[in-house]
Amino acid sequence: MKPKPSRSLIALSTSALALPGISLADAPPTQSTASYKISNYQEDDLSRKEAPFGDLDRYNIDVHQFKLISPVGRNFSVNIDANYETLTGASPWFTSVGLDGNPDVNLSGASGIRDKRTEVSIGARYYLENGSIGSSIGHSEEDDYRASYVGFNGERHFNNDLTTVSLAFSHSADDIFPTDAELFGRVISESKYSSSAVISVSQIINQFSTIRTAFSSTEQRGFLSDPYKLIDFRPDNKTQLAWSNSYRRFFVNRNAALHLNYRYYHDDFGISSHTIDTSWFQNLGRNYQLVPSIRYYSQSAADFFTNIDDFLKPLNEYQSSDYRLAAFGAISGGLSLVADFGNWTATLTAERYVASDKYAAYKVNQPSTALVKYNRISLGFDYSF
Amino acid sequence: MPLTLRRLSFQAMGSPCEIQIYEESRISAKKITQILSSEVSRLERKYSRFIPKSFLSEINYSAGNSMGIKIDKETRALFNHALSCFEQSNGYFDVTAGVLNNIWNFQKEIIPTESQISELLPSIGFNKLQWRGSRLYMPANMTIDFGGIVKEYAADAVARLARKIDVQYGLVNLGGDFAIIGPQPDNQPWPIGVADPKNRKTLIAKIDALEGGVASSGDYERYFAHLGKRYSHILNPKTGWPSAGLRAVSVAANLCTVAGSIATTAMIKEEPEGIKWLEDSGLSYVAMNQREEIICNGWQEPSATAE
Amino acid sequence: MSTARSLVTIILAVALLSACSQVRPWERGYLARKEMAWNTDALESALNDHIFFSKEAASGGDNTAGGGCGCN
Repeated sequence: MKPKPSRSLIALSTSALALPGISLADAPPTQSTASYKISNYQEDDLSRKEAPFGDLDRYNIDVHQFKLISPVGRNFSVNIDANYETLTGASPWFTSVGLDGNPDVNLSGASGIRDKRTEVSIGARYYLENGSIGSSIGHSEEDDYRASYVGFNGERHFNNDLTTVSLAFSHSADDIFPTDAELFGRVISESKYSSSAVISVSQIINQFSTIRTAFSSTEQRGFLSDPYKLIDFRPDNKTQLAWSNSYRRFFVNRNAALHLNYRYYHDDFGISSHTIDTSWFQNLGRNYQLVPSIRYYSQSAADFFTNIDDFLKPLNEYQSSDYRLAAFGAISGGLSLVADFGNWTATLTAERYVASDKYAAYKVNQPSTALVKYNRISLGFDYSF
Repeated sequence: MPLTLRRLSFQAMGSPCEIQIYEESRISAKKITQILSSEVSRLERKYSRFIPKSFLSEINYSAGNSMGIKIDKETRALFNHALSCFEQSNGYFDVTAGVLNNIWNFQKEIIPTESQISELLPSIGFNKLQWRGSRLYMPANMTIDFGGIVKEYAADAVARLARKIDVQYGLVNLGGDFAIIGPQPDNQPWPIGVADPKNRKTLIAKIDALEGGVASSGDYERYFAHLGKRYSHILNPKTGWPSAGLRAVSVAANLCTVAGSIATTAMIKEEPEGIKWLEDSGLSYVAMNQREEIICNGWQEPSATAE
Repeated sequence: MSTARSLVTIILAVALLSACSQVRPWERGYLARKEMAWNTDALESALNDHIFFSKEAASGGDNTAGGGCGCN
């Protein structure tokens, strides 16, 4: 029944749709938003069976995050991010063979580790007709570690804003200077550099769903070993590739949104991994939202992973007992409650993470005994003005 | 609390405006309507011809300045839409014709002389605008008037902003330019009526709209009669004289901005071309011609009286 | 490499999808909702990235790494 839209109607609709108040393309924020989040991250203690000597406590970290984003003029926005972490606890120092022949973990120093990390970054974004470009610069400082980084990124919308392509590059220069280096015969000071690039394409599928696929590549050079472990010798070059896919769908009848993400990862230490996670954003009336989420992760072991430090192995052969290089799987689940009162938003999140060789999707030749379990609880506030 | 229809009325862009939304809480409805009406004031402060410090006034002051003026993204997009109005209407809808408002004074009912008009015609013409990157260079005396575009755009922008802050059911009305935020609860349409210009209590047509926008253009608000001739405030940029076209037009479209551009163009064109333009657009419209006859396509006969 | 092959396939699929999909901007209300964003809570995702970066070997995917930390 409806006549075909005329050429004039199409032309007028096209130019009207390009108006920033109408299109869904990027627009500079019209309000400033300040956000603060406090989190407590607490790892489960090791049992006496797993660590017959030394401390049983593992990391306990308090994290304070702050973010401010503000419009400047008509086409600009700037943001400042700050992060402050205080950490107590111990991390595995070296492993040894216990009396029963299974690997034991010895945790470092009786006093444990006490550290803090401060990170500050600033960024700016410029909004163009069909996209935006941004850059950021940041610095992170610890007693024994320093990192400085710069990043550039840009995105562009095509095809009536149905398709968005974005590119990002970043470079980081890190310095490591272990504490008590001379006392324990650790390295005095080392450096590492990483560069990464990401390309991503997102596409609106229909009124309710969008997908995105992204590919990233990271190159690390320099000192990639753990200076605190008695024996830890890794290659000084590492290439990491990751391919991630995301899906979002809104369910009108249920007034809820589904998030689904999958990532495949591979690096030339020989590690591959799968990550899959999903969240359900359930709106409860106008002011509340409940968000359960679940995540599964599994990785294979690095080629040179060993769960028992081999003090007899030649020093020029790679080896590491870092549990992060072991084959394992991890399951985590969380629940967030979001309360939204106009200018104010409050978010409470609780999360439980359990890593185990039992959950591994890859073959576990040498199980690590140092895999973590942790609880995390966060309380965040956003204020727009 | 049940969903309740809540209204905020205010004066903006020289017209009575109203935002209607369905909300459970009166307090959150108040906050929401404040956010939305502040978007209307933002656009009014930026694009009003009558506010000396508005960005549009700055643009108009720059006419003839060889330095030009730097145009931001939003205004550039408005100019792009104005270009598309200019092209599609074959030059009838021209935002650069604002200078004619200076000599046609509809309050004092002064008819300019032919020589006054012909003196101004060279400073009219969208194709006389020069762009270098994001800088605009306007010829001397040219005046931009975004009438027929900005109020409609504001209605769409407010509706879009409302959806963004989770308003599901609502309607924006900026002086007779409507943009739908979302249908009424249970997917019920919003009834939008066109009142008879001679008798505001009677409807001449009605449309039930679930989405999109409705815009109207008419000469009833501002015109004068002189020596038996009617002078409409809708001016033809090609001749500098009031157009002898339709009296009033209302159009329903996917966006209020699009409806406004179609309706304004129909008003400036002479009568038969105006109706042909409306027919060709394929949109639902209702128009009143010089003989006060109603021409209707896609709108319903009125069955009720206006509130 | 199979990863590169799948990437090409998915980008092709995206291009095909975009050719047939025509969601007009005024139909994108649901997509514009906050809970439909790729990243709904910037601080939450920064924290999670940071934790997973320090506890797992994998990183990257849809964002570039910021600075490292002594945690990894």
